[in-house]
Order: sequence, then structure tokens, then C-alpha cells
Amino acid sequence: MTPLPKSAEVVVVGGGVIGASISLALAEAGAKPVLLEARAFGGAVTGGSLAAIGTHMHGREEFGILDYARDRWRELSDASQDGIEYTACGKMGFILTDAALAAGKTLVAQEKSQGARAELLMPEQAQQYERLLGGPILAMTYDPDTATVNPFHAVRALMLAARQAGAQLFENTPVARLLVEAGRVVGVETSTGERVSTPHAVLACGPWTTKLAADLDLNLPIEPRQAQCLASIRQPSGTLRQVISSCEAKGGVDSGYTQIQQSPSGQILFNTVTALAPTPKGAEDRVGEVQPGFVVDSVNTLLMLFPALKDLPILRSWVRFEAVTPDARFLAGPVPVPGLHVCAGDNGSGFCRAPLLAQFIADGVTGRQTLPVALQQRAAQLYDPLRFMDGQNV
Amino acid sequence: MPVERLICDVAVVGAGPAGLAASLAAAAAGTEVICVDQFPRAGGQYHMQPNAPDTPFAKTEQVQQGLQAIRACEAADVRFLTGAEVFWAEPPKSSGEHFNLYIQRDGRAIIVEAKTLVAASGAMERPMPFPGWTLPGVIGAGAAQRLLKTSGAACALPFKGKTVLAGTGPFLLAVASTFAKAGQKIDHFVEMQPAAPLKKARAMLRHPLRLPDAVALLRDLSRTGAQRHMGAIITRAIGTSKIETVEIAPLGPDGAPDLRRAVLVEGVGALCIGYGFQPVIDLTTALGASHSYDLALGGWHCTTDALSCATSLPRLYAAGEVTGLGGANPARLSGQLAGLHAAAFCQGKNPERNGTATQLATKLLAFRAFAATLAQLYPMPERFPLPLVGDEVVCRCEDVTLAEIKTAIADGAHENFAVKMWTRAGMGLCQGRNCGAGIAAALAESDIDPITAGYNRSHFPLRPVSTCIATAAFASSSEAKA
Ligand SMILES: Cc1cc2nc3c(=O)[nH]c(=O)nc-3n(C[C@H](O)[C@H](O)[C@H](O)COP(=O)(O)OP(=O)(O)OC[C@H]3O[C@@H](n4cnc5c(N)ncnc54)[C@H](O)[C@@H]3O)c2cc1C
Ligand SMILES: Cc1cc2nc3c(=O)[nH]c(=O)nc-3n(C[C@H](O)[C@H](O)[C@H](O)COP(=O)(O)OP(=O)(O)OC[C@H]3O[C@@H](n4cnc5c(N)ncnc54)[C@H](O)[C@@H]3O)c2cc1C
Repeated sequence: MTPLPKSAEVVVVGGGVIGASISLALAEAGAKPVLLEARAFGGAVTGGSLAAIGTHMHGREEFGILDYARDRWRELSDASQDGIEYTACGKMGFILTDAALAAGKTLVAQEKSQGARAELLMPEQAQQYERLLGGPILAMTYDPDTATVNPFHAVRALMLAARQAGAQLFENTPVARLLVEAGRVVGVETSTGERVSTPHAVLACGPWTTKLAADLDLNLPIEPRQAQCLASIRQPSGTLRQVISSCEAKGGVDSGYTQIQQSPSGQILFNTVTALAPTPKGAEDRVGEVQPGFVVDSVNTLLMLFPALKDLPILRSWVRFEAVTPDARFLAGPVPVPGLHVCAGDNGSGFCRAPLLAQFIADGVTGRQTLPVALQQRAAQLYDPLRFMDGQNV
Repeated sequence: MPVERLICDVAVVGAGPAGLAASLAAAAAGTEVICVDQFPRAGGQYHMQPNAPDTPFAKTEQVQQGLQAIRACEAADVRFLTGAEVFWAEPPKSSGEHFNLYIQRDGRAIIVEAKTLVAASGAMERPMPFPGWTLPGVIGAGAAQRLLKTSGAACALPFKGKTVLAGTGPFLLAVASTFAKAGQKIDHFVEMQPAAPLKKARAMLRHPLRLPDAVALLRDLSRTGAQRHMGAIITRAIGTSKIETVEIAPLGPDGAPDLRRAVLVEGVGALCIGYGFQPVIDLTTALGASHSYDLALGGWHCTTDALSCATSLPRLYAAGEVTGLGGANPARLSGQLAGLHAAAFCQGKNPERNGTATQLATKLLAFRAFAATLAQLYPMPERFPLPLVGDEVVCRCEDVTLAEIKTAIADGAHENFAVKMWTRAGMGLCQGRNCGAGIAAALAESDIDPITAGYNRSHFPLRPVSTCIATAAFASSSEAKA
């Protein structure tokens, strides 16, 4: 295998969808990044993702950001000749209560006012798009422009594109610590003691980001949350057509949030998020197992909406760790250690933001301005990593 | 759906030689034992019980011995759950809690709660891709054996035409012996290893007690009438909608087939082929026990303590092929040891005190040494036995070719898990059971060592399970209630 370089213009730590996207953006900017991934590229939460992309459900404030990100995914899909399986399948949010109906109406109105093609559908209308849909739904929010990508191939395509643009990528290379001199980042050291000197390091380590930051007395408010999913044996294509999810009043992925979709391979993928239980120390480094309660909730929600899937055989489950922040938004940008940038805190929906965050971070590292100013400002305001810090951390 | 809940001291998964021995030892020591197996009858691979009384197998020693072992277990009050598949297992969460085994049987859920667990889940075939391996009529040597043993009075393979038995390992002789007992003809017998009678005789002389078995196996091979091709390999299976012809080539001194001296055998109805076995580690990996790699033991296997058969997980014991290939004798001995220790744990005793355990462990070592000798004589191929072209399918469930796997490896997928993510090889119905060896071979050919390549840890469910059974079982599990 190629040996690690002794120095780099910038080192990206973490090879999930965020780190891979950042490496591509940096490489395209000519910064020749070196990416170091602890295990396999995209093997953490990125490889356990349902990878839906779009604006629906995440609220007004991030609309422009999500819209931009979706365009970039579309471009990547064209560039990769659709190796990433970009599928504009649409998304529906199910509404079961009167309170949720009111929230759904507001959401759709807001999205429409920003140019989305969102609609509110009555059950019979919804069934025309999703023929097996049943259950006690009052209405469905609908956005025809939500897409999904193949999460594995997405990371692979990002990696290959980054490599072609001049990035160097290393898997099975955990970073053990950041090297700091006179208060600024000067390099990173791997678990085998190898060092890469660099003036810029970007931490994109998902929930593990806190570990490397803590060495520099930087307390990032990120909690790991067990995120999990079930997959069935292949079903005939078209069994489900859309991404089906619960319609969250406040947006984002929270306890009770449900997502159901059929992958291009035919498997039905489904999950209902369980309450955020504290993850035991160190547990985020282990591959966990689904909890019985999660299986029961996920199956019950699936069968409530799709009674016809009663005998669906479950083939597989997986558990990963998402990075949760207090306001369900990323921490992205420079932190008060010169040369250090972070980009973590996906809160269960990092795919739909990754290309924007990557451009935002790359601009920050290289000092260029490639993002539209309005988006740049919005991202800086929404994702400011210092927004929770009181003086003591700095 | 009502869920049956059973409680015991020792639960044993697998009713082969290892599981039966473990069950008997634990029951004889005075503990309550439940033994679970997915097959309709106890016996496992070696002691497989025929499903009709009048087959030629009913009287064989393997079946009779198995029947005795099953009866002894029943006499000692072992409760058998057959036709019962363990689809999930949870380790105890604290010292006061138990293992939970989630089982599906006849469309119903059963939960077995056990203080200790013995994993005796055995081994399975290790299919290796070669040109034409996906043609109908190409079957595993083990599958052929199972078909014969369970085909009832007819006792014949359901294929017309010539039969070819091929691959490598002492197990091929065991299959040939099954053919002989069934009165089935074998037309060609193809073994990768050269005849090397002197080398084999010398190795066998170090284990004189095993000599009669070896002689009997060779005699059975003669009885099948097979033409032998030693030091040769099947280079192609050829046919349009099913197998018709096989190509057999001798292997040159460099290990490559000499195609100029290849022969074609036409009119073939069945090619039964086996390149060794691999331990069934889904249960033990899902529980999180440690595993080790040794090609001579079938690759990845559950790591156990030589004396107690304890795994790295407290109260989990493992016995038989899941702890490394060795055959029926080590399976029985390790089963006995595991059963004794599991029972002793429940009773708060130390079985090392009475000496039985130590004696068993010593005997086990001797049998393991014999198994190691055999493994040296018949090394299992770690890489593809033949150079393959790129468009050969390696993962049949998801239709993934060797070329796709090689590209993924070149792109940076340097372990089994990464290859799976980037190609879907191993994500299909078999969850890597059938393509694991092929993926490992592709990684080995790219000079990635097997430890780095790793194995795919199993997760819920171990075997496909319907949403109804899964939720019925989990809803009644103590954790979901709490
Ligand atoms: C079931 C499920 C469904 C989902 N559905 C969606 C969806 O529909 N839409 C959506 O947008 N998102 C979805 N998500 C969330 C999405 O997958 C994540 O938000 C996203 O993958 C986060 O990417 P990441 O790169 O931040 O994290 P990760 O993938 O965790 O990447 C971090 C990487 O850093 C590495 N690392 C950690 N420490 C070190 C170190 N010291 N040195 C080197 N490397 C290190 C890790 O090994 C890891 O590979 C879903 C997630 C799940 C589990
Ligand atoms: C196809 C095949 C044919 C063989 N033929 C011979 C032969 O002819 N002669 C010979 O000497 N050796 C043979 N062997 C080797 C044989 O495995 C050992 O000699 C011996 O059977 C090993 O005993 P065991 O108890 O470890 O495993 P096995 O006999 O394989 O028993 C394991 C049992 O566990 C059960 N099991 C596994 N997982 C689960 C689960 N999740 N739920 C419920 N049940 C489960 C299986 O159904 C099986 O019955 C064969 C092996 C294989 C794979």
C-alpha cells in the first residue's frame, strides 16, 4: 500500500459522506487533501443510510441549503453516469392526527412559497402514487422532487472523483491525535505513530469528532445516537415507489420518526427511530445490535401503513451511530484553534446536506468564495460550531 | 400470535455429534437441557437420520450411532426442538439474566431462556466459483450426500446422466462412501491433490487407530466404480440450460492446470463438487464472541479454551465444527467438554476437579492432531483453484462478477465488509454464506491477508424471519415489556 505522505496542504479526518464530500470539494479547489479514515470508507453511519436527498420536511430555514445540495447530487449523478443510482422517487409524509394535519398544511405552504412543488394529498390521492398504502392516515404531505442515492456508491463516486482531482485517500488509518504547536494545528498523528504535518485539519468523524477535539480542550456538544434499520428480502420492483416518512412538526429526525422505502435492489428498508437513550462510553466504537423494542415499533408502523406487507420476511438489520447536537443542526466551520475545522453533527440527515457543507468548509479552508453569498452566510449562521460555547471552552 | 416460552439451564444449538454429546453430558450432570436444530430430525451432518426406514443407510454405523446418541439424550430428559431455527440470540445483560434464544418453528415463535448456551452449529460447504459453476446440475458434494441420505427408499440423485465427484479433501471420500452405500455409481472422481500414496501412508502411520477408517473409505471409493483423476481439477462445466460436459485437466508442477492434457466427459447429469468446509459462525459472531482464522480449521472459527470449550463470552461454550473443522470425533469430545462445563457453571461446581474433563481434553488434542494431519494432506485452496475470467459470477444472490469485486478492491475496498458495501456481494438472500469463500479468494488474490479481510459479523436475524414472528417474539421478550 502507498505510504502516508509526510506533509499535506490539508488533512481531512473521517471518510464518511461528509469527509468524502469535503475531500472532493478541496481537491476541486486545488488543495490536494489527504483523507484519513479509521476503518473502511463509508463504513460507519454513511453505509447504513437510506440516503434520501431533498428539501421536504427539514423546515424553511435550511430550504436553500438543501435545494443547493440536491442540485450538486444531481451533478454527481450525471458525472458518475449514474453509478450512484440517483432516483427522483418523491417523498410522502404521513399524517395521523389533527394536530399533525395543521403542521403538515403549514409545512407544505412554506415549501411552496419557496418554490417547491410540495402538495397535501388526501388518502385516495396518495394511493394513486403509492398503491399499497392503507392504514388510518388523514392525509399525506408530498414532494415529487425528493431523491435517493445508493449510499455506498455515492461515497465511492465521491472518493474516485476526489482522487482524480488530486486527493490522496487512506483507509484503515485512524488518527490518534492532533498535533498542535504554539496554539495552532501543525499535523496529525495516526494510531501507528506516523505523522502528517499540515497547516489545516478538518474533523469529519461523526460522533467520534468529540474525541479528537477534547484533547484540545474543545467540548463539542455532540451525543452519539444509536441509529438502526431493518431490510427485507427483495420484493417485486414497484412494491413501494416513494420515500415514506412521518411528517415531523418541527422537522428533522427525532424519536418516533419513521422512514420506509424500497431500494433499487428490491429490498424494503424501514425504521422507526427510538428515543435518544444515552450511549454507554465506548459503545459507539462497537457494532451494536438492534433492540427488540425498535424491531417491534418499526414493524408495527410499517404494517399500519402497509397492511399488505404482513408476511414480509426480514433479512437483515444494522446499527450505526449518528451525531446529535442540541438544536439538531451541524457544527461546521473553524473553531478557536487556528488551522482546525469541524464538520459533524449530522442528526440523522447528513446526506441531504453533504455537498453544501463540503463547499462551505472548502471555502473556509482555502479562503475562496465559491458558494453563493446568501448560502454561505446562512450556513455560517446556522452551523456556527461556537454557538453553544460559553467562554470556558475556549 | 401466542409465543411459547421455555426455560432451561443449558441450551444447545445444533443436534449433530457435538450438540448431542453436549446435551447428554449436561443432562447426565443433572441440569435441564433443551437442544435445538433446524433439521426435522436430530443428527446433524454426520449422524443424519434417514427419512424412510427402508433406505440402505438405516443400518449404517453413522446412523445407528446417531440414533443411540439421540435415545440416550431422550432417556436423560433432554428436550429436543427439531425443525426449529434459531433466528436470533441475545446474551445475558447481567449476571442474574439469561440467554434468550428466539426460534421459529412451523410459523410460530418460541423463546428459550437459558443460563448457559452451547453453540454446536457445525459447518457448511465452502463453494468456490469456477467456470460454469452456476449451471443447474452442479451441486455441492455435501448437498449430494444429503440428497442421497434423505431421498428415501429410492436412494438416488435426481439427475440423469453421468455423475462426477470432484474437489479436494478427505470429505470427498466420505461422500464417495455414501454413494457406495446407496448403490449409486460414480463415473469420475477428481481430486486436486496428487495420489502420493507414500506421503499419505507415512502420515497415516502416525495415527494407526484411524487406519481402518481410511482403508474402508478407499474400498468404498472402489465400489463406486469411479475412474480416478488424482492431481486433477475440473476446469469447466459446460452446458446450455444445464450441465452436459465437464472438462478435467491434470495439474502441472506449478499448480496450474495443463489444458493440453485435458479430457472432456460428455453426458454428465450431476457434478458434485466440494472445496472443503467452513464453520457456521453466524450464531457465535452475532453474540459477539471472539473468532480466529486458520485455513486448516476451515478459516474463521469461534475461539475456545482447549480445556473447557468456553468462548470469550461468559457462559457461552462452543463445540464441534464451529470451533474449527476436525470431523465427528473432535466434535463429540468437545461437545462433551462443553456440556460438562456448561452444567457445572449452572451448579456452581468446578468440573476440572474430577479428572474426567482433563482426560477428555487430552483425547480431544489427539483427535485434533489427526485432523491437522489430514488438513496438511489436503490443504483447502485459499485462492481460486483456477484462474477466473472477470465476468464469472461470484455472488449468485446479487449477481456480482469477479471483475466488479476486483475493481472495488482496486478502488480501496480492502476487507470483506467493504467489498460487500461497494458491490452488494454478500447482501443477498444467503448473506454471504455461499459467496464468502469466493470474496475471500478475490481479496487473497489481491494480496490482502485473511485477517485484514476479516469476516462479516452476523446481525439480526440469523436467518430470514417474517415480520409477524419477529414482533411476536420480541414483544413478549422481557426487555420490550420493560
Ligand atoms: C437508517 C438510517 C437512515 C438514514 N437516512 C438518511 C436520509 O434519508 N437522508 C440523510 O440525509 N441522511 C440519512 N441518514 C443519516 C446519514 O447517513 C448521516 O447523517 C451521514 O452518513 C453522516 O455522515 P458523516 O460522514 O458525518 O458520518 P460517518 O459516516 O460516521 O463518518 C465518520 C467517519 O469518521 C471515521 N473516524 C472516526 N474517528 C476517526 C479517527 N480518529 N480517525 C480517522 N477516521 C475516523 C469513522 O470511521 C467514519 O467512517 C440515515 C442514517 C441511518 C442510520
Ligand atoms: C454437508 C456436510 C456433509 C458432511 N459429511 C460428513 C461425512 O460424511 N463424514 C464425516 O465424517 N464428516 C462429515 N461432515 C463433517 C461433519 O460436519 C462433522 O463430522 C460433524 O457432523 C460435525 O459435528 P457438529 O456437531 O459440529 O456439526 P453438525 O453435524 O453440522 O451439526 C450442526 C447442527 O446445527 C444445526 N444448526 C446450525 N445453526 C442453527 C440455527 N441457527 N438454528 C437451529 N439449528 C442450527 C444444523 O442444522 C446442524 O444439524 C460433513 C459436513 C458437512 C457440512
